[in-house]
Amino acid sequence: MIAMFRAVLYTQWKWSRLIVVLGTVAAFAIPLLSLQGAARPDRGALQTQELLGAVQSWGALYPLLATALGLLMAIAAWAADHRGRHIHALTLPIERWRYVLLRFGAGVVLLAAPIAAVFIGSSLAVLTATLPPGLQSYSIALAVRFAFAVFVAYAVFFAVSAGTARTAGIILGLIAAVILVQVVANIANIDLNVFGAAQTVLLLGPGPLAVFTGRWMLIDV
Amino acid sequence: MSRVLALVSAASLLAAPLQSQDSLVARERRRADSLLSTWREAQRLADVADSLERARATAGSDTIAVGGLRIIVNPSSLPLREAAERAWPVIDSLYGSAAEDLPRYPYIFRAVDPDSGVRRAVLHVGVELPWDLDLRATSMVLLTTVTPPDFDPALADWLGAALRPALRPQDERAAVFVQLVTAPSEAVRACFLGDIARCQGVLQIGDSTGSLERLYATPAEREALVTGPFGDYFARGATALTLQNCRQHRVDACTALLRSLPPGSLPRPLAPAARMLLVRVALHAGGRDAYRRLVARPSATIGERLSSAAGMDIDSLVARWRNDALAARPKPLTLSWWASFAAIGWTAFFGFCALRSSRWRL
Repeated sequence: MIAMFRAVLYTQWKWSRLIVVLGTVAAFAIPLLSLQGAARPDRGALQTQELLGAVQSWGALYPLLATALGLLMAIAAWAADHRGRHIHALTLPIERWRYVLLRFGAGVVLLAAPIAAVFIGSSLAVLTATLPPGLQSYSIALAVRFAFAVFVAYAVFFAVSAGTARTAGIILGLIAAVILVQVVANIANIDLNVFGAAQTVLLLGPGPLAVFTGRWMLIDV
Repeated sequence: MSRVLALVSAASLLAAPLQSQDSLVARERRRADSLLSTWREAQRLADVADSLERARATAGSDTIAVGGLRIIVNPSSLPLREAAERAWPVIDSLYGSAAEDLPRYPYIFRAVDPDSGVRRAVLHVGVELPWDLDLRATSMVLLTTVTPPDFDPALADWLGAALRPALRPQDERAAVFVQLVTAPSEAVRACFLGDIARCQGVLQIGDSTGSLERLYATPAEREALVTGPFGDYFARGATALTLQNCRQHRVDACTALLRSLPPGSLPRPLAPAARMLLVRVALHAGGRDAYRRLVARPSATIGERLSSAAGMDIDSLVARWRNDALAARPKPLTLSWWASFAAIGWTAFFGFCALRSSRWRL
């Protein structure tokens, strides 16, 4: 089983190494760029708000990067199987669920590189910066959050990508139905806020996309 | 004889302009007196108009009395009594014994149908409320519109807002913490780091002399203030050249421009929440009569009034205020445990969905 996992990991690395390398570089660079200028010796009280503003602006890139990495890695994991119409996979002496699990696990292992890059990059950025009194760094919290966001995004897109065209059609159909219901409700002047409800379910509380929301701050009060 | 004549004529010549000056002063005084009497007449008329308007607004209304609260409102389904029962303890705990004076400041409400398009008579007294407000919203209205008893203009000017119960005290303190850390002022930073004298300076509780130096200590801060918020104000007329010099990092030019501002128009580095918290700390420390002592002497300095309200010296009070603010550091930006579990759960769930895919079931 371990040998099989190694083989799957190696093939998946070959297919997605560009994504992993570029993602790792970006993940390393974003924290460093977000704190650029924070080490200036002449920075006084005037610049604290500017610094926080810059960190907040750069912070929007973390969830975007997590989503992009999850999406691209999921597509890369299944691209070869889709191209070969799954004939190679069918010839393997292994159950489908094991095969999918190996693919999923290989993707998770490869995604560890950009997650580690966020942690190293943010730790390095904080070490080289002179933070104003009262501000604190959150390198570990940021890296943990990034890890969860990457894994959730990867799992969502992996599940969609692993499915058939019919599954994708059902998902798209559901989304279209929600939009249609909202449009009809608006036209009929019915007090129904499906978008708001969907937003609450998906983004708030324990929703699947809740980890993407909020402020992604490397430093804050 | 001719010398005496010369002296008399010289004295009369000298007295002539003085006499005309005297008549000018007298004329101006008469004009001022006339203006004063006109102003008093206008004030009387305004009082009469207010009284008539109040009588019109409260005609056919009921009065609800809960504790010291008096609510004059037309009959409706608004849960005002229950809301007042909720709001009264909060209001009473803030104003203490002075809350007994609140019957002098009744609420005047008019409950209206929020869905009705029917035109209503315009009233200039009181507040219109939609009659479908729930208990919580109605209580909020009472808390946020209560009139602080004997709240004098000097205190209002310094505070920058009316002193009312805090709806979210912890958030108010956390906001002060954020201000102390992020305000673009070296004086505020020094206060954050423990310099109580600088805290008093930025809170403006002492005398107002040298406030520019106290509030904006460094040349960079003054330049930022002049070229930022006041850039347009100074860009025209006689100050344009000085502004140009200030933009070229000439400290004296920036300072001169800021000194030319009318008194009281220098922006405060700390928002009203910081001063509000200081007053709340003083009232909390001073017991039930603290508010009464705070408003007892409007002519005293703010520092003296706060000190008298709190029953302690101003240094101790400001130190307590700082400790309160520092203790209210906002929650760190870490993920909560349930959010972490939710993320792991969703990852596992979608992974499981992928395992159950029908791709191979041909």
